[in-house]
Amino acid sequence: MPPTGLEAVFLANRDKLVRFLTARGAGDAAEDLVQDLWLKVAGRMDGPIANPLAYLYRAADMLMIDRYRSRRQAELREQDWAEGQGPEAPPGTERAVAARQTAEQVAATLAGLGERTATVFRRVRVDGIAQRQVAAELGVSISTIESDLRMAAHALAALKERIG
Amino acid sequence: MSQDRNSPMHGVDTVAIDWALRMADPARADWDAFTDWLEADPGHAERYDRAAMTLLDAEQALAAHPDVPVPIEPEPVRRRPLRWIGGAVAAALVGAIGVTAWQDRPQPYAIETAAGQTRRIPLSDGSVVTLAGLSRIELDHAEPRRAMLSRGEALFQVRHDARHPFAVQAGAVALVDLGTVFDVRLGQQTRVAVAEGAVMVDPKGAALRLDAGQAVTVEGDRLIRSTVQPDEVGGWREGRLAFDGAPLGMVAEDVSRFLAQPVTVAAAIATRPFRGTIDLEAVRHDPAVLGPLMDVKVRRVASGWTLEPRE
Repeated sequence: MPPTGLEAVFLANRDKLVRFLTARGAGDAAEDLVQDLWLKVAGRMDGPIANPLAYLYRAADMLMIDRYRSRRQAELREQDWAEGQGPEAPPGTERAVAARQTAEQVAATLAGLGERTATVFRRVRVDGIAQRQVAAELGVSISTIESDLRMAAHALAALKERIG
Repeated sequence: MSQDRNSPMHGVDTVAIDWALRMADPARADWDAFTDWLEADPGHAERYDRAAMTLLDAEQALAAHPDVPVPIEPEPVRRRPLRWIGGAVAAALVGAIGVTAWQDRPQPYAIETAAGQTRRIPLSDGSVVTLAGLSRIELDHAEPRRAMLSRGEALFQVRHDARHPFAVQAGAVALVDLGTVFDVRLGQQTRVAVAEGAVMVDPKGAALRLDAGQAVTVEGDRLIRSTVQPDEVGGWREGRLAFDGAPLGMVAEDVSRFLAQPVTVAAAIATRPFRGTIDLEAVRHDPAVLGPLMDVKVRRVASGWTLEPRE
């Protein structure tokens, strides 16, 4: 039986996805990663997907972001070790406190941008509501939503620069 | 995408952030265009990773702590009394500027513009100040990293140097650049708006940091934060004035800087908020265009024009 649905789209676009992963920083590992990608998405199938190719691309993209995050965390641990701060990650409670502080700083940064911008960021990026729908909820244009998101993202990037 | 900035290490990487936002939005994601961008420079992948991770981490932090409150009204920042730059602040800045500047004799000079005139003033350190109409700035050849705006509005494009901060005294408010393009206007209300980089407002008191897209209005002893479109900051240089809820009195004050004769506002509507963008060329040609734009009556008076409520 020939492959159908997502698998057919995956097979038809495998080369494009490899090219994307290569450019995305995977280099020679792109061939291996495209296999990992398929195992991941195939095991997570639930319900029909409106745009299978975009779904595969985004999954590949997220895979690379996760790899970047792991790499960064490993680098930070090595740095702590080299600086004599100990190799241990903070114990559970400390980590929980730190996470809460991050949430508070993020919330305060967003609040500083004004109510609408903070709401737009939460609805679109945290709640995952479509931009068009958030625009309708708030009675503003899509371009206002986009500029609010951009403003929030810039402020969060600045926060990240500041607190590391 | 907007212009590609090659120095992602410096400040906020707006290009990478734009991609991170766009690729997370199914309605705008264009994976072929994104692949092309990634292939254009091997450094792009990491810039994108950093921007995307920053956003995802912030979102996950919020999602994991839904109980962290977001204040409905941003709290106005209480300030300690302002100090004039001639006092302790100036001493601290001189310390940063160093001995050579201290030994140089002050060579102060002032530049003033007439209504309707704008003037670009390059400084010896590579920074550029653009002065709006009806404005006055005091500078010093011996100390190019200091400026005092005593009237009107100016856009500062500062060549950042962390060791020699650029200090601006704007009326009663002291500012120090943290790398940057920002606009300062004096008048009924003092307002500072940042287009790029960041500015520290009242460094010795509130020490409020403004990043790109943020603005602060000074009202009495309070600093009130708001947001601006970064590309609208200093838009007056291209003949555009954008407002997002500013009172008509302030709008008229701003517009008047760019006209030969001033526009005033009847007291009855001076506090009415205005949202919109004003095309200065059109207003110069015929101030009556303000009528439909602001829903007011524009009346010619001896000194210029006045805005009144519609009958």
